[in-house]
This record gives sequence, C-alpha cells and structure tokens, in this order.
Amino acid sequence: MVDLQSLWDVLLVIGLVLAIAPWFGAYLGRVYLNRPAFGDVVLAPLEQAVYRLLGTSPRRGMRPREYMFALLLVNGGVFAFLYLFFFFQSSLPLNPTNTFYHIPNMSWDLALHSAASFTTNTDFTHFTNESQISMGSEVIAWQLAMFVSAATGLSVAAAMIRGFIRKDGTLGNFYVDMVRSITRILLPIAILFAVILVLLGVPETFKNYIIAYPLTGGTQTIYLGPVASFQSISLLGTNGGGWYSANAASPLANPSAVSNLFLVGVMMLIPFSTPFAFSQIIRRKGEAWPYVGTIVIVFAVALGLFIVYQAATNPGIASVSGLGTSTNGYPVGQETRFSLPEASLFQVVSVYSNVGANNMAIGSVSPIAQMVLLFGMFTQSTPGGEGTGFATLLLFAVLAIFIAGLMVGRTPEYLGKKIEIGQVKWAALALLIHPAIILIPFSIGVLWGDPGIAGPTLAASAHNFTSVLYELTSEAANNGSALSTGSFTDTTPFWNVTGALVMLVGRFVPIWAMLQVGGLFAEQSEKPPGPGTLRTASATFTIYLTMILIIVSALLFLPVLAMGPLAQIL
Amino acid sequence: MSAVAVPSTGRPTDAPTPRRAVTPGPSHTRMGHVRATVVFLVLTLFVSGFAYPLVVTAIGQLIDPNAANGSLLTDPNGTVVGSSLIAQNTSAPYLFWERPSLSDYNTTLGMITPPGPTDPALGTLLNETIAYMREYGNFTVNASLPFWLVSESGSSIDPDLTPEAVLVQVPRVAEANNVSIANLTGFVNAHLVNPPIPYLGVSYVDVLQLDIDLLAWVGK
Repeated sequence: MVDLQSLWDVLLVIGLVLAIAPWFGAYLGRVYLNRPAFGDVVLAPLEQAVYRLLGTSPRRGMRPREYMFALLLVNGGVFAFLYLFFFFQSSLPLNPTNTFYHIPNMSWDLALHSAASFTTNTDFTHFTNESQISMGSEVIAWQLAMFVSAATGLSVAAAMIRGFIRKDGTLGNFYVDMVRSITRILLPIAILFAVILVLLGVPETFKNYIIAYPLTGGTQTIYLGPVASFQSISLLGTNGGGWYSANAASPLANPSAVSNLFLVGVMMLIPFSTPFAFSQIIRRKGEAWPYVGTIVIVFAVALGLFIVYQAATNPGIASVSGLGTSTNGYPVGQETRFSLPEASLFQVVSVYSNVGANNMAIGSVSPIAQMVLLFGMFTQSTPGGEGTGFATLLLFAVLAIFIAGLMVGRTPEYLGKKIEIGQVKWAALALLIHPAIILIPFSIGVLWGDPGIAGPTLAASAHNFTSVLYELTSEAANNGSALSTGSFTDTTPFWNVTGALVMLVGRFVPIWAMLQVGGLFAEQSEKPPGPGTLRTASATFTIYLTMILIIVSALLFLPVLAMGPLAQIL
Repeated sequence: MSAVAVPSTGRPTDAPTPRRAVTPGPSHTRMGHVRATVVFLVLTLFVSGFAYPLVVTAIGQLIDPNAANGSLLTDPNGTVVGSSLIAQNTSAPYLFWERPSLSDYNTTLGMITPPGPTDPALGTLLNETIAYMREYGNFTVNASLPFWLVSESGSSIDPDLTPEAVLVQVPRVAEANNVSIANLTGFVNAHLVNPPIPYLGVSYVDVLQLDIDLLAWVGK
C-alpha cells in the first residue's frame, strides 16, 4: 500500500500550481488581449520593430481562413526546414567529425516522421537520440519546432476564445499572436526555468560527449549538451521531447526528486492556467471554473488510479522466487530516486497535458495504469496540450450545451452567442476525427503493417496489441509518449509514414475546426441572457461536462481497451 | 486572383465591401504572408537555436559549472571516472554493484526497455538476474534479494540503490576488501542520501560515489 505521508509533496505541487494558475492565467489573457502587461517597457518597442519587419500590425485582424493560411505557412516552413535538416544532418553543423560519434543522415521516412512529430507538438521519436540525431538537429531544428508549435497552440486557443468577444468575424492576427507568445510567455519563462534546472543538476554545455574511464576498466561515453535549455522549452511548451532517449528518466535530465517535482510544475503551468486566460479574455471570472473543475476531477481520478494500481503487486512475476517485497508493485522500469507517488505524478501530468515525456519505462507499468494513460489521450483535453487542449475542451462544452439545449427544447447559447448548426458540425468533426485516425490506421496496421502482435501467451499478445494502440493514440493526440515494449517494431517505413500522417491530420484538422467555430461565434453580436439560458458557471454544468467527456471518450474506445489492457489482466 | 484565393485581396482599396459595421484592418496579400512567414521563422530560429541556448549556457557555466558540465567524478589523478548521475559497470567482487542494465551501462545504446508487465519474458529476466547474483554475489544471508537490486531501471543507467539493496552486498564487499562487516556497514550508512524534507523523494545511496570513496578508504 502507498504510504499516505508520501503524498504530501505531490499534493503540494498540485496545490501550488492551482494557486498560481488564476494569476498566471490572467496574465496570459492580457497578453492575448494586447493589453498593457508586465515587461512592456522593454518588450513593446521590440515587438513593434518585429511587426514592422514582418509587415504586419495588431490592427490587421484575420478571419479563420486567413488565420489558418498563415498558420499553415509558418508550420509548413518549420516542417520543411526540419525535414531537410534531418535528411542532411551528417554534413550540417554541431555533428562530431570523430567517426565513432558522427551521426549519419536520417532515412527519408524517419526524417518525415520526425519532422511531422516535432512540428505537431507531438515529439514522438522513432530513433535513439544518442546515436541517430545530431546536436545541431536537436538545438537548431528541433528546438525551433518546440517554440513554434507551442506558440501555435496558444495562438489557436486565443483566436478561438476571441470569437466570443468579437462581432466583426475576425479572430486576431496570427503573426502578432505568435510573436507575443514567444516574447511574453515562452522565451522568458523557458530561460528562467532552464537556469533553475542547471542549479538542480542538469547539464548545459556545448560539449557533445565526454569519455570516462570506469572503475572496472573500459570506457563509458557520457552524452552532454545544452540539456537544461532543451528540457525547459520541451516541457514548458508541452512538446515532451527528451535530450536522452530515456527522456526524464535519465538521471542527467532529471537528477533528483526535487527536479522531478519542479518539472511537474513546468508541465502543469500553462495547461492548467489556460481556463483562467479564457475567463480573463471574455471578462467573466466565473466561467473558468467549470473547466478547471472538469480538468481537476478527471486528472485526480486518473492520478489516484495510477498510484493505487502501481502499488499493487504484479501477478505477472508471482512465480519469481527469492524476490523481496516492495512498496512499489512494479519497480521494473522505475528509477530509485523518486517515490512511487512522485514518479506517478510526473507520468500522469505528462500524458494528461499531452507533453509525452516520461520518467519511467511506461511499457512496464501495470495494465490498468496503461489504460489510465490511454484515457488521457482519448480525451486530450484534461488539460491537454498547449492551447489546443483547452480549445478541445471548449468544443466538448459547445457540444454539451447543444445537447442540453435539445433536451429542454431551447435554442442553445453560450456567453451570449447562439450555438448553431455550423459550430456543432465543426465541433463534431474535430472530436470524431480523433477516434477515426486512431482506429482506422490501427485496423490497417494490425492487418497489413506487420506489427508482430502474436506473443507466447494471451497476456503478452494483448500487451503487444496495447503497444500498437498506444502508439497511434499518442500520435493522434499529439502526445508523444510510447510504450515501446514487446515485439512491436515501429521504425519501419510503414509505421513512419502512417505515424506522420496521423500526427499531421490529428493536429491541423482540429485546429481548422477550432478556428471555424471561433469564426462563426465572431460573426454574431452578443445577446443578453434570457430565461432559457443555461447557467454555465455552476457546479451542475461542471459535472455535466465531465460526464459528457467521459461517456463520449469511453464509448468510442471501450472495444479496443477490452482487447488491449483489459485482456492483459484476465 | 484565382477563385480559391486564400483570404488575401491586396491593398485596402481592393478590399471587398465590409459585410459588417466594424471594419477589420486590411488583410495581407499573399506575398505579404510569405514575407511575414519567412521573417518570423528567421527571427525565431535565431532566438530558439542560438540566442536562447547560448544565454542559458553562459549563465549555467557561470553559476554552477560542475552541474553544467555533467557532474563529473574524477579520481585522485584527475582522470574522469564517470558522472555521479550515471551508473557504470561495477560488477567486481570488491565493489558495490549497481542496478542491472539491459544495455550493460553503454549509453550509446540509449534506453533499452524491459519486457512488459505481463510478458513471461519479464519473469525469465528476473530469474536469470537473481540466479547470477546468487552465484557471484556471495550473499551470506539466505533471505530474498531486494527488488531494486535485481530490477531494470527506466533509464538503464540509474546510479542509485535503496539502502537495503546496498547493505545486502556488504558481506561480499567486506570479505573482498578485508574489512569488518561492522565497519563497512557504518561506511555505507555514512553515504546514505536522505530526502531534504521527510518524504520528498526517498533515501538512497549513490553507488558510484560509494565505490570511489570505498577504493580510497581501503587504499586501492
């Protein structure tokens, strides 16, 4: 059983983030309202200069079509740059010339998968960092995608929310949103957090590696690099890519229990604050709470289940004799320096915020814990990735209010704007594309992709089945965590190309729908609330929204869960 | 201008009549979008790929050079023997052993994931590790082996072990180094890293640090 006293630091971190979130969310809101904010003295003239260079101005509002066009241009540019960089990394800078440590070019399909993965904020890797990606590819190319994809997510959320306060059909200026996301949020906070990470023991140097001479002879390579700065923007921007292939399980990237808790806070900061940015922008303080409530309820249940099932003894190794007892039922794949609740907190926050970093081998956690992680990626909105997670939750809310309106026979409206057929169609598209791009490629892949599902026992086969399901779910939700165990090999051209397509569709189709929904709201003028208006800032609506979220996600995925994780515990 | 033209219509004079009372600002031409995108990406690349890591590296090297350079450990001659954050192969009788590693502590292989929780291969792996340890570990106590001593870590290079997983190795190490069990137990306990605040993390021993100090202590 879990020692209850060991939960205090976990609860403290969650409490601290929730205490900061209203304040920080209000700041985020001011940033996207182009209101005077902290740092204007230095940053405002700088931004004006950048706007002039870009040939744009905050007064140039964009309708959804133009906003999306600009978004695709910028993200397409990043994608092309990344693809070319990875494909030619052998002859590009920051790649050691020493033959043993020289990193060769990526194959076309691996470069495609990697470029798609980093551009879409997924950061799912089909390579071993230490031997297949050069320092130049990581610092110059990958890190560019980390900033741009995080800023894109925030911009989309800001644009969609602005739909509720505008009447002229415009959603804001994409370039201005991107610039302000970087200057006001991502860059200053990433620098601060990176410096704190160095103080907590994370390396930060431009030396690629050091050769050590171990006590028992031979040599050991210690890979180094600007790990702290990479890790900082990776987790702050809900990207989740790791400098090391072990990600945040690597002791160099996450040296202690304190750094582990700090990284948890880094991951939670923006996703948990976004509902308050929403209430700041629409100027109705109470409207943040149903979303915060929904996120906290789902997240708390998930964390509780994860901890309880990780503490239970693994029946799969009951036959091993001469093994001592442990308070951790699944210590294989865990790191010694974290307590069970601390390790679990990191993992659940990471997957539920669609970061996708890991501080353990998640392929080794209990089947129920794997299901808990899968569920977070099914909803992808509790709290979900940078910006897009909250925008997805708003789409769930639009759908929920529409259904509630149908039940009582009133015209559904939200924040003074009518929910019409258009919004519902786009919301349904965004929410249905998710299971479609998981389950259809899953079926194709299982039948023709040669994933090697058959194992020696039913449980082992079910585990391989879960690995394939997890892979596609992680890609569709732009999460990036992977089970990577069993006999399933995902590095073939088939899985690289399939994965790249799933990630691109899973990113840009929902974004298109979010902007459309925002645009349709922005065409309407605000109406005063009538007697039939659903009160959304209420506990009833919170519980209702939570139920809609759980039921929709559970119904869609129950059959595959039964064949995967549930079959493992039979 | 083609019919499918993305929003752009050029300068304000060409703009279609606004459909609503509030006029949005003039939209960008297509070339205007290309220019904005290219300039934005060049500026962001400069910030994310150069300015940001260089600034943090400069600050990091200034305020904590030891951590910034990988927390390296050197022997009295100044040779780098490893990093206090990374496990290495210490499977000699006179040293305390680290947690097992599927990559044999070879960091170039990256992280090698252990078998899944319900995979029969997991039981096989644990049985093999236990058998190996029983054969070469000289564990005088006939009790069960601590779980952390025989289980794979998440990173394959976890340098830490729980106190009981270190103490169970004391008889072997004491015999190989000709020191008394009581003295060595005291030596190990002195290397225990306790949580800074109760229950923030766990108590553990950094095995590589322990081994380096042990070699100095017994004069090897």
